[in-house]
Amino acid sequence: MTRSTLLSIALFQAALLAVGFLVSGNNYYMLLLTQVALFAAFVAAWNIIGGLTGQLDLASSAYMALGGIVTSLLWMRLGLPPVVGVWVGGAVAAGLAVLIGIPTFRFGVREVWYALMTASLVVILNNLFRYFMGPWDFYLPNKWGWLYLRPRTYFELFIIVDVVLLAVILVNIYISGSKIGYYLRNIKEDELVSEAVGVDTRLYKLIALAIYSFITGAAGFLQVVIYSSFSYRLFDAGLAISIAIMGIIGGLGSISGAIAAAVVFRALGEYLRSTLGGVIPGLDLLLYGVALIVVGILKPEGLAGLFNQLRRWWRK
Amino acid sequence: MSAPDVVLRVENVTKRFGGVVALNDVTLSVGRGEIVGLIGPNGSGKTTLFNCITGVYKPDKGRVFFMGRDITGLQPHEVAKLGIARTWQKVRPFRNLTVLEAVTTGALLRTDSVEEARKTAVEVLELIGLPREEWGRLGSEITLMEHKLVDLARALATGPKLLLLDEIAAGLRPHEQERLAEVIKKVWSDRGLTIVVVEHVMRFVMSLSKRVVVLHEGRVIAEGPPEEVASNPRVIEAYLGIKPV
Repeated sequence: MTRSTLLSIALFQAALLAVGFLVSGNNYYMLLLTQVALFAAFVAAWNIIGGLTGQLDLASSAYMALGGIVTSLLWMRLGLPPVVGVWVGGAVAAGLAVLIGIPTFRFGVREVWYALMTASLVVILNNLFRYFMGPWDFYLPNKWGWLYLRPRTYFELFIIVDVVLLAVILVNIYISGSKIGYYLRNIKEDELVSEAVGVDTRLYKLIALAIYSFITGAAGFLQVVIYSSFSYRLFDAGLAISIAIMGIIGGLGSISGAIAAAVVFRALGEYLRSTLGGVIPGLDLLLYGVALIVVGILKPEGLAGLFNQLRRWWRK
Repeated sequence: MSAPDVVLRVENVTKRFGGVVALNDVTLSVGRGEIVGLIGPNGSGKTTLFNCITGVYKPDKGRVFFMGRDITGLQPHEVAKLGIARTWQKVRPFRNLTVLEAVTTGALLRTDSVEEARKTAVEVLELIGLPREEWGRLGSEITLMEHKLVDLARALATGPKLLLLDEIAAGLRPHEQERLAEVIKKVWSDRGLTIVVVEHVMRFVMSLSKRVVVLHEGRVIAEGPPEEVASNPRVIEAYLGIKPV
């Protein structure tokens, strides 16, 4: 890891924690900040499959919900504390992803078809879980503590989410600089050339898919904790799309851009929803749409391109 | 040629696309250390043959042997691992990787360490003679000639025994072609490679290979030293579409 990367992570963490301390008196803002940080973690995980590998995956919320629900059920039915349960939740999500990924990559499903297929996965699971769970919300047991990843205060929850976000960022950076990262970026550039220089493209796409879905599934329980409940509605196609959109606005493959987009747009979206949501429903989604168009026209390389420009300008 | 000296052997390979027979019962051998030219008019099946050798296509009939081993139907990355590398007729530009990163990826085939791979990449780039200031450039910032060199470097970095060059001189100016031919000769002698050159540019092939194979409509119609082949009436007919007077 270079010094500048280390420095920017430290700065980002300092800023995030500072905001956390500032708003820690206000439960609403605290929850909002926690939600934004968790969303950023999902976007950062998506960056592995979407940004690095170039597969337009729209199933993020499927893995999130599956992992979250599995972890919750293990806790409620079998008494397995979520500290352990999240790993199982992540593994189940990754297992499903790999199971679907094998035939998908075997038959060369890619680009828009991959996007459609993964998007339909969310819808299928949404219907399946509605069928088996019914339309009800299931509330988490009235137990609190670190063992359940369910601390008493929002500030502590924010710290947990922040640690997860930091971990996902570090995983991203580690992968980027490793052999896997080189191979994934080459797959994104050109699969045929990658094969010809010895990259097992199917295997490496599966690896990327497994890492991304495992992280998303394991972190999914934190989303359940924020809601304190879960239902089939966790399988939310809109959420999966907005996670992908953040990765695209951020500049595919750039972790800093992806996180910046997630933080700025999710916070702005939540703000607009809470202030104007009653007046103009869906305004936050409109904002995403407008941002996508603006980025598409002005800066197809996303916020990351903007950062690079600023960096060059700064050095001059 | 005795068996251990045959690096590549293509036996009765046939490949059809719908009703079109792209390769029709093609048989050829390439000996260790040879530079063989593979020529023929457009659509004669040269690139298809490369694709059948490297596993991009599976031949409908026939077998492909590499160092005595049957490699028919292997995946492209498996073929690469065994030691066959190729370059591309149509430049396949990498936009968001630097030159050094692209070549490093090739070198990662033989090691898991990025650092080691980078060392190999540096060696190859130096051998090819690509100036150091180009190494940090993105694929979107380099010229066609540089792309061809990087393509070659990336293939070499995988540590191949057999190198397949698919119309590498296409689109280059004559003096660039000469330089490329020099680079290929240098690489060939330095690495003890066996090379198959698919080419349109006759002069380019003649400067490199002692033996050429001529494909026409998916069949091998002539084989031999370049001067001899160039004056072969069947070859002239295939290229010009008329019988020589």
